[in-house]
Amino acid sequence: MHILIVEDDEVARDTLAEALREVGHTVEVAADGLEGLSRAASTALDLAIVDRMLPQLDGLALVQSLRATGKKLPVLILSALGEVDDRITGLRAGGDDYLTKPYHMSELLARIDALARRREAAEASTKLKFADLELDRMTRRVTRNGKRIELTAREFQLLEFMMRHSGQVVTRTMLLEGVWDYHFDPQTNVIDVHISRLRQAIDKDFDKPLLHTVRGAGYSLREDE
Amino acid sequence: MEGRSRKVSPDQRFLGILNTSPFRIAIVYSIAFACGAAALLGAVNFAVSRVVDGSTDNLIEAEVQGLREQVMVLSRSDFIELVEQRSQDQDVRGAVYLMVDPQLRPVAGNVPAWPKIDANEGKWIQFDIQVPYGEETREHEVRARRFPLPGGYRMLVGHDVQERQDVKNLMMRGLIAAVVLTLMIGLGGGLWMGRRILAQAGAISAVATQIMRGDLSQRLPVRGADDEIDRLAREINTMLDKIEQLTLGMRTVLDSAAHDLRTPLNRLQATAEGAMSTLATGSPERRVLERVTSEVDRMRSTLDALLRIALAETGTVAREPVDLSDLVESVVDLYAPVSEERGITLQSSVTPGAQVQGSRQLLAQALANLLDNAIKFTPDGGRIRVQLNQSGAGPEVVVEDTGPGIPADKRELVLGRRVRLDEARKFPGSGLGLSLVAAVTKLHGARLILDDAAPGLRVSLKF
Repeated sequence: MHILIVEDDEVARDTLAEALREVGHTVEVAADGLEGLSRAASTALDLAIVDRMLPQLDGLALVQSLRATGKKLPVLILSALGEVDDRITGLRAGGDDYLTKPYHMSELLARIDALARRREAAEASTKLKFADLELDRMTRRVTRNGKRIELTAREFQLLEFMMRHSGQVVTRTMLLEGVWDYHFDPQTNVIDVHISRLRQAIDKDFDKPLLHTVRGAGYSLREDE
Repeated sequence: MEGRSRKVSPDQRFLGILNTSPFRIAIVYSIAFACGAAALLGAVNFAVSRVVDGSTDNLIEAEVQGLREQVMVLSRSDFIELVEQRSQDQDVRGAVYLMVDPQLRPVAGNVPAWPKIDANEGKWIQFDIQVPYGEETREHEVRARRFPLPGGYRMLVGHDVQERQDVKNLMMRGLIAAVVLTLMIGLGGGLWMGRRILAQAGAISAVATQIMRGDLSQRLPVRGADDEIDRLAREINTMLDKIEQLTLGMRTVLDSAAHDLRTPLNRLQATAEGAMSTLATGSPERRVLERVTSEVDRMRSTLDALLRIALAETGTVAREPVDLSDLVESVVDLYAPVSEERGITLQSSVTPGAQVQGSRQLLAQALANLLDNAIKFTPDGGRIRVQLNQSGAGPEVVVEDTGPGIPADKRELVLGRRVRLDEARKFPGSGLGLSLVAAVTKLHGARLILDDAAPGLRVSLKF
């Protein structure tokens, strides 16, 4: 992906750019809001990562201006302010996702992948399919290799989320936000246990495990090991 | 706040009016005025009566003296004629005469018969006569003086005092009417003023509740009457302006502090992660950096919690209607598998449709903290019970566990920041969990009660 980073903190900016390049993305940087806005408006980008506190033009104003021009560029807002209301403010300004500092790089990488995919996919389909796994959102039926799998309501939602992000890394925070709509950090490993239940249901009686744990990051629905 | 106001019954409102100072003052004054009016009218009544009575008696006495003199010089028949003459005299209204023989048979006068007189009555007597009024007759009272005549004859001379009596009655009725009217005006005025004051106080109290719930933009209404209540309201509003400024200032400080702490943490994290990516997994250098990032995680967690608590305490959080029943069930659902793993029975009974005004995220985190603690401290095989009850006052959320509980003398303490009881130190966590629950509870105008579940801890949030 062609990514623009708008961040005034030099260390943060450089380490982030480095990390993104390492996984194969093309990265451009801007050190203030005005420069960031002009770059975003004039370049063909796949994604922008914008810090909230910027000199010249603050991050939210940047995003709002961008949206005002009709640009649909996916934007991930980075912020050192970490409150629920701040997140809502950021998303309302036109941001697509919001991440507070400090963050794990794996978290950021997972989220930008999700944002990129969101742009491509048309959400209309009621049936999701991955490998031999099929999920029907209307009938609430799940089958693997034709065999019916019984899931609780919550397990169904989890699976749906994983399938919509199939092939990608999904972090625990993303799951908590996407399935429960909670924006805090549970101290215990609640998500892990939910996932292991789901894994029991969809992988146990079958040859190929699909639901994998990605060390240090989260989980992924993948066909390979 | 549009969310909740206690409904007051009409009886309660009425009693409320009786308790206001305008009402009480009005009652005191009207009783005072009523007493004053009664005293005045009573005194006037008494004085007038005495004068009127006195003059009547004098008239009668004068007539008696005159007749006594006449009886000395006139013959009996002449005297009788005199009495008859006086009786018929139309010029003197209300004069009463009666002369009777020794057998009490009337001889002259304008009264039909000698009245029944008690033996112990003196010279002065009162009796009734019938007076014609067109078709009817009415009873009139007469005051008379009796005296003996020569030859065993008797005489009484008196006056029709009914009119006097009528005036007296009229005055008495007037007095009573005045007293009653004064009291009623006082009562009515008191009730009306009491109602007005109650309404004003109610308006102030409603705004105050809103302010305490965190809506610092509210101000007390100033009616423009320029009385002491308006002045008080204006002064309180000025104070609120100050508080709002301070609170917003505090928010800015918190944001700055957050930013100033998060930025270096971010650099620390990014730098460590950047370095780690070049090191081999399992190498000692990598392990060192892993410890660094793990500590950054802890700091982030603590910072997040402290920030949330501070923001909840300063009340600067947006509010919306929250489906509490839904939220409780959702949090219980989140923690269900973890409880099951530990063999802990997680029971829940949630009354549907409970609503509160507040922050869904903060409430979710508070509930999650409670369940988190419950699971942490309940031994394997224990039980956790989560309830949501609806009462007249509002919803109540209860989380009970079968863990070690919190001793009564430590309950205040644990709600403070960073307090972990000795028994709890072996468990992971920042110690801020209950502190956040306390701040969120207060923000929502609810009460947090820690109790003994015998055994275990019982936490109750009463909205």
